[in-house]
Amino acid sequence: MVLRSVPPRALPALFRILVCLGLSWFVALATSSGLADELLAPERPVEEAIDHYIDARLQAEGISAAAPAPDAKLLRRTLLDLVGRIPTATEAQAYAANPDAAKRLQLVEQQLGSPSFVRFQAERFNQLLMAGSNSNLRDYLQAAFQENRPWNQMFREMMLGREDDPEQKGALQFVRARAADLDKLTNDTSALFFGVNISCAQCHDHPLVADWSQDHFYGMKSFFARTFENGGFVGERAYGNLNYKTNKGESRDARLMFLTGTLIEEPAAAEPTDEQKKAEKKELEELKTKKQPPSAPASSRRVKLVEAALAAGEPGFFARAIVNQVWQQYFGRGLVHPIDQMHSANAPSHPELLTWLARDFATHNYDLRRLQRGIVLSKAYARDSVWTSNERPLSETLAVASIRPLSPQQYAMALRMAVVHPDHLPADLSPEEFEKRMAGIEGGARGMASLFEHPGADFQVSVDEALAMANGERVERELLRDGKDTLLGKLTTLERPQALELASWTVLSRALAPEETQAINTYLDARSDRLPEAYRQVLWAMLASGECRFNH
Amino acid sequence: MTQAHSPPTTKAPLILTRRATLQTLAAAGSAFAAAKMDVLDVLQSPVLADELKRQQKRVIVLWLAGGASQLETFDPKPGRPTGGPFKAIPTAVPGTHISELMPQIAQRVGQMAIIRSLSTGNADHGGGAQLMHLGRREEPTVRFPDIGAMLAKELGRPESQVPDYVNFYTATEGRGSAVGQSGFLGSRFLPMFLTSDSTPANLARRDSINPLDHQQRLELRKLLSDRFAAGRTSSSLASHHEAYARVPGLMASAKLFDIEQEPETIRAKYGPTLFGQQVLVARRLIEAGVPFVKVSRAWWDSHGQNFETHLELVSELDHVLSALIDDLRDRGLLEHTLVVTLSEFGRTPNINASLGRDHFANAWSVSLTGCGVKGGAVYGKSDEDGQKVEDGKVGAKELFATIFRAVGLDHQKSYQLGARPIPLTEPGTQPISEVLA
Repeated sequence: MVLRSVPPRALPALFRILVCLGLSWFVALATSSGLADELLAPERPVEEAIDHYIDARLQAEGISAAAPAPDAKLLRRTLLDLVGRIPTATEAQAYAANPDAAKRLQLVEQQLGSPSFVRFQAERFNQLLMAGSNSNLRDYLQAAFQENRPWNQMFREMMLGREDDPEQKGALQFVRARAADLDKLTNDTSALFFGVNISCAQCHDHPLVADWSQDHFYGMKSFFARTFENGGFVGERAYGNLNYKTNKGESRDARLMFLTGTLIEEPAAAEPTDEQKKAEKKELEELKTKKQPPSAPASSRRVKLVEAALAAGEPGFFARAIVNQVWQQYFGRGLVHPIDQMHSANAPSHPELLTWLARDFATHNYDLRRLQRGIVLSKAYARDSVWTSNERPLSETLAVASIRPLSPQQYAMALRMAVVHPDHLPADLSPEEFEKRMAGIEGGARGMASLFEHPGADFQVSVDEALAMANGERVERELLRDGKDTLLGKLTTLERPQALELASWTVLSRALAPEETQAINTYLDARSDRLPEAYRQVLWAMLASGECRFNH
Repeated sequence: MTQAHSPPTTKAPLILTRRATLQTLAAAGSAFAAAKMDVLDVLQSPVLADELKRQQKRVIVLWLAGGASQLETFDPKPGRPTGGPFKAIPTAVPGTHISELMPQIAQRVGQMAIIRSLSTGNADHGGGAQLMHLGRREEPTVRFPDIGAMLAKELGRPESQVPDYVNFYTATEGRGSAVGQSGFLGSRFLPMFLTSDSTPANLARRDSINPLDHQQRLELRKLLSDRFAAGRTSSSLASHHEAYARVPGLMASAKLFDIEQEPETIRAKYGPTLFGQQVLVARRLIEAGVPFVKVSRAWWDSHGQNFETHLELVSELDHVLSALIDDLRDRGLLEHTLVVTLSEFGRTPNINASLGRDHFANAWSVSLTGCGVKGGAVYGKSDEDGQKVEDGKVGAKELFATIFRAVGLDHQKSYQLGARPIPLTEPGTQPISEVLA
């Protein structure tokens, strides 16, 4: 079924990719089926479905997955992913020591219900949707995630937000920030909401992917062609059609067409006369002065886009794209990878799983929290990131956990949390007070986050980061200060073994290995005349370590 | 003039061949070293290391920000209505004339190729600067690397102890549009960006830690990180390790930014201007193995008083570029170093009412000197008033392909961005072979 849906022109490319991926996978794909009615039953828990499909591929390829990650490591990973922070030493030790089998479920439920989760999701999605923009969606996203608003509703609001509704007006920032560059609006909408990067098809039919032609690009752009900005408000005209030149030089009228190739019917719109245009211009100028939004057209093309994207029976660009997007946040790669290349020549690593998850997502009210809960509770998510036997399996098999660079906010938060005095975050703090203090540390971490680059695909750490960590004034001032309110202040009051244990659990969420203890002791012994400085340097070495810099 | 700087009559003592390299390495008796023969640090012979370092290709771009006039530099039109007050003078290459504002460069045209037929179609500061940094049009969803990032990646060495992309831009005018970007190549190839005449940020050790502690603290960091990296494979993790490994070398390279380290005679040659001093730093960086340096000089945007502006700026360029060419040649570096003068566009032949020239991208000039260049070549021709290209029209991509070829790179080499291959220059682009050696 999967193969039959591929347009014939794409087959050679698909075949090449299949060969690249290895024959065993090809066999697995060819013998399994993408038919919805043959999928695992819809009532199975999300985490079970995930493990079912991932284990099936591992079994087919004869790979035994990595062991589960140690508890404290998994706690660190889970907290970084759900709420953007590391555990305190007390939390990590308590979690590791807790024999209750239900502790993982409790942890996940508790975090998913926390204000930190809402804040972190808002920040993460703002970065995703508004990267490189001067404006942001933070307030809107914060309110939306607060009530776990369905993703389809959020999409509708981001495309169509009403200017007279304070909540939705914020959502429309997505369009407003791009209204002056409709190519960007078209591309970003396609890539972010549908997982399809059609920018190649702007100037010519996609050279590699038979799915995407210039008709697709201009078909998608047509949905936005009437959108404009007027005095800070988004408006849409009732007329106007796109015309473009094919790469053969032929002039062609764009048709309103969704990515699926579905053509959208709309009432014919006559071009206005010069006089009407003049009147329109005058009206818009007046609205600008009055700071009022332009009136909406009787037939909005952006409404048509939302209808087409969310139409019942659409083959799932919308749901699949967000499932894939979220999946990447937790596994470091999409089920389809890269995530903006969802097309027939770039098959998913686990086709049925993606289909199952997209179906589950759509039938459960586009619930992002449910999806994330399932991902985090899966065994696949909980594996160790260390692979010691033979060759490390392909990352797409998910046999072993990925090593993911922290976002600037996550790393800054980890650094700032790691240096506070443990008494500032005691175990018996009420959840409300703990949240309050976390929010405070988050605020402080925002400045430090500017030292780090946001990680894109195949992220490379810059020397600027290493230099800023090694010699930066801010790092010295904010992380290495020896005071009553800092970890360093506490360390110098402890006996050395207790000091090292506290430092290690605080920064790395684990005990030190004997050879590490030995190395650090040697380091400290050589500086017994200036132990406070030596502790500062040991703390720095931990903060700047790969282990602290990455989620693993 | 040229006699005063004639090249040394004897060749460098060691001509490096692959065989010589292998022999030296074999003498060192290490199969490990042979397997990593591109890793200079394993070389025991300082002479060999020096020679290898010298043969590494590098590029210096002199970014004439705001748009230098081709009519007052490489494509004068004396006696025409568009010509302006300055004359054209003959050069060391018979038949080639350039503006009288460049008497010293005129003597060095034999080492230079001039392209007079750039037609780049974008006469807007932002768009023009972007085009002349990327060699292509930006796409909404692809962030391309600029030429510095591409050359840093292609010509630099991963384990290099020096920076591999240094970008000077002291003035504030136009700085925003000429900022370096590494795009999809990642932040490993971001420029070290200097916006004042001092050394780059965070190169100096803080007073709160002594040198030995600073070094051993890095070693302790490495010990912890190496233990963590065992059994974990990730290119991002490797880049983290690499970035920290480069810290001591980069800190040691702080002295490269200090021209006090140069003899007075050399400093005098470059002159007292900030531009001259930064170009001297560029030479010091190049000599130490930095593959790409851009020095920006602003602000050439002479909408009014074009001729006064150019009298000042071209005279300075004439002096500084000539000093750089001589200095590189005297050190045996010129044949491995390409020096490019580049702007976002040229200036209109028409002289406006304020005696200015405006933005103009239809027929303008650049120069390429040194590595891989056919000295004395002049490519392309504008019409008699300089209004349009009459012969040999080329755009940014052809220029970029030529630069890549001049330093020995395949201009069609591709990076893989997801499913999409992205060559150094757009598919089908041809370098300007007439200016290549």
